[in-house]
Amino acid sequence: MLPHLDAAYRFARWLARSPDDAQDIVQDAVLRAYRGYDALRGSDAKSWLLTIVRNCHSTSLKQQRRRAAAPLPDDHEAQEGFIAMASAPDPETASIDRDERRTLQRLMANLPDDYREVLVLREIEDMNYRDIAALTNVPVGTVMSRLARARAALKKHWLRDIEENSRAVP
Amino acid sequence: MQCPESLRVQAEFDGELDAVGAADVERHREHCAECRALHRDLAELHDALRRDLPFERAPSALQHRVMAALDDEDARTPAPKRATAWRTRPFWIGLTSGIGTAAVAATLALSLFVTPAATDATVNELLSGHVNSLLSNHLIDVASSDHHTVKPWFAGNTDVSPPVADFAAQGYSLVGGRVAYVDHQRAAVVVYRHGAHVINVFTWASAGKALPRTLTRDGYHLSFWTSGDLQYCAVSDTGWDELRSLVTLLQNLDARSHDAGAS
Repeated sequence: MLPHLDAAYRFARWLARSPDDAQDIVQDAVLRAYRGYDALRGSDAKSWLLTIVRNCHSTSLKQQRRRAAAPLPDDHEAQEGFIAMASAPDPETASIDRDERRTLQRLMANLPDDYREVLVLREIEDMNYRDIAALTNVPVGTVMSRLARARAALKKHWLRDIEENSRAVP
Repeated sequence: MQCPESLRVQAEFDGELDAVGAADVERHREHCAECRALHRDLAELHDALRRDLPFERAPSALQHRVMAALDDEDARTPAPKRATAWRTRPFWIGLTSGIGTAAVAATLALSLFVTPAATDATVNELLSGHVNSLLSNHLIDVASSDHHTVKPWFAGNTDVSPPVADFAAQGYSLVGGRVAYVDHQRAAVVVYRHGAHVINVFTWASAGKALPRTLTRDGYHLSFWTSGDLQYCAVSDTGWDELRSLVTLLQNLDARSHDAGAS
């Protein structure tokens, strides 16, 4: 089986509006990689493929926006998609701990795009700063500060969420 | 007020510091309450994210879709994409304009007077490439029995893009690919396993160097052939017949893709 397909799909899920869109993006990306339009340079195959996924996503966003009569702003689209994902029913998860499990997912969905992206690449995909910098096209210093701000923001929202819940359920 | 060391604490947590830097940060944490708290927060958030976020896998429908799309792609453009970016136009234009002409003449002169020593150097490179791959356990850079994986990997890592296929049905299973340095180029090495034997198939851009068709040295057989502008060499300690069968399979594959590409 193709390596890194899981990682490509996970990443696309965080970027795209729906599972179907994510699948389309991944298929596009693998074909582009295979055709060699985006030759693997230097860094490892996983971050290479994720870079192509990212490019395919932004291309498809642009196309959607061109087609749409009234274009939605970028982050609104992505967030909408993710909230849909966060609230989609998941039979594997027991209903009791559903809310708890979904909390972080929902909070992640509400973060600005660049915060969410850097968190996913670092915390979920285990990528190092250099690869994240290359993938997101920013200097390593920016990755470090963005990651720090993203973590602080998520932590803040998380604490607030816990606080509100503890007030709601005495 | 944030401690100026906070980014370094984060970098240490993310495994981005070397041993000295990490020890430094650990010492700092001992007497900085703020950074101790930050480190705790980082760990807590990391654990929670790993626990609570969905760790999805690509649905099998997607896997099938992608594989089908790749096969389609093969059917439509069967000619192996020679990464003829291999110093093609820009390189030659650069050479033939002005001062480059002398260099071309020099290159031609060199290739016309192939000395046995030059051939020998190439044979030695191939042989040591083969033996080292067995000794150092550095047999493959990309491990896969899937030519969809190996082929694009070469496109990014070597100067050529050789035909790749799995001949498991014929007894030659594709193990993976590797880069080797042959004739001053990043050659592609496709690795096959045949029984207990490893066969390395080197591919690099032919420089018109006169190479023997076959050669045995130190108990290893080398079989050379060219196709288009590419030079191939299969190296192994299998018998001649086994080696020749693989060479024939590869040549047929290459011929098929040429035919299909021409039609």
